[in-house]
Amino acid sequence: MKVRLILLIISATALMSGIQLYAHHSFAATYFEDKQQTIEGDLSQFLFRNPPSFVHVFGKDEKGQPVTWGVVWGDGGQLGRQGVTRQPLKPGAHVIMVGNPGRNPDDHRLRMLRLKRTSAGYTWGGRPGETFD
Amino acid sequence: MIARWFRGALLLAVLTTVCVPAFAQVDFTGEWAPRFYEDQPERVPGPELGDYLGLPVTEAARMRADTWDASIQTLPEWQCRPHSADYIWRGPSNLHIWKEVDPVSRQITAFHAEWLRSIDNIYYLDGRPHPSANAPHTWGGFATAKWDGDILTVTVTHLKEGYVRRNGVPRSDLATVTEHWMRHGNWLTVMTIVNDPVYLSEPFVRSTDYQLDEHQLVPPYPCDVVEEVERSRGVVPNLLPGTNPSLNDFAAHHNLPIEATRGGPETMYPEYRNKLATMPKAGKK
Repeated sequence: MKVRLILLIISATALMSGIQLYAHHSFAATYFEDKQQTIEGDLSQFLFRNPPSFVHVFGKDEKGQPVTWGVVWGDGGQLGRQGVTRQPLKPGAHVIMVGNPGRNPDDHRLRMLRLKRTSAGYTWGGRPGETFD
Repeated sequence: MIARWFRGALLLAVLTTVCVPAFAQVDFTGEWAPRFYEDQPERVPGPELGDYLGLPVTEAARMRADTWDASIQTLPEWQCRPHSADYIWRGPSNLHIWKEVDPVSRQITAFHAEWLRSIDNIYYLDGRPHPSANAPHTWGGFATAKWDGDILTVTVTHLKEGYVRRNGVPRSDLATVTEHWMRHGNWLTVMTIVNDPVYLSEPFVRSTDYQLDEHQLVPPYPCDVVEEVERSRGVVPNLLPGTNPSLNDFAAHHNLPIEATRGGPETMYPEYRNKLATMPKAGKK
């Protein structure tokens, strides 16, 4: 109950305080927000930029065929304020990601919810503030 | 004695004239933070597919929106596209307004408005005419303004094609926009009225509020075009008519009649709620 109240206060404060909001494309129109998918593979590039950053991962599709996943993340400025850097996400890093799948299956796209680099334990998502608009 | 009285009167007249503020000019300059008291789910995270409720859309607009695929925004031509002048007021971004002043008359000759992710939108107050209909169309369009008492009334033409909702509902390049800027202390209310002979069957009216925020600074927003997803060259994501599998999801999520979610001028008015109560619902998903 206490946690819910704190989350409610944080959400309301963010809503009313005029902080920088970076929404551009509609998430609901682009991703299945009510579904989650997990992918695993080797990071090929981290496009740390505006508009939203992308992480590309060599992985497999549902049929086991090799594909490159495009995982959308926050804008460069927004991630930078959360302490995200390029350092732990270099090409070749083995990662596991959980996200909302894109509505267009041909895109092999996810909206990032959680990220884990299997070596050295780097993670993003799940801690307070580790979200993006 | 008379000469002294005359000189005094003249001095008083000059001082009075100098101290009187310019006629009906309200200063809109400053840093303005958007307030999401209206339509926050649509304006920040974004609208759902198939939600045309409250929009006076034509059948042509429905066709465009029904066949729109959000993946199109991953194309290089789309990645750094700014919101158009009519949409950006309703968007999620902070706003900075500044002015140009004539050095001699001290009259305001133009306002500039720039949001995060927008271009520098200029609103001319110097009486210049709008260009030929064949002149280039831009994201900001061509905007002139005039004072109507304390209200600044803006007319925008020459807009590139844009959207009235970020789920594919289009606004054509033949549209014109009228804006009314109203300042009440630290609050700015802007009413936008979009007239579009192609995609709207009635004027589309919205009002949006901003609050003065002296701690705000709209940051730079450099935008890089990259390959966001892998796809064959020349592919333009789209859906053929009748193949969009998500159009009824909005109705199902909110247990609304599908007919209502298709929008149209009738759905803008309060009395539509009476009709809604008699219509079959989509069934909650």
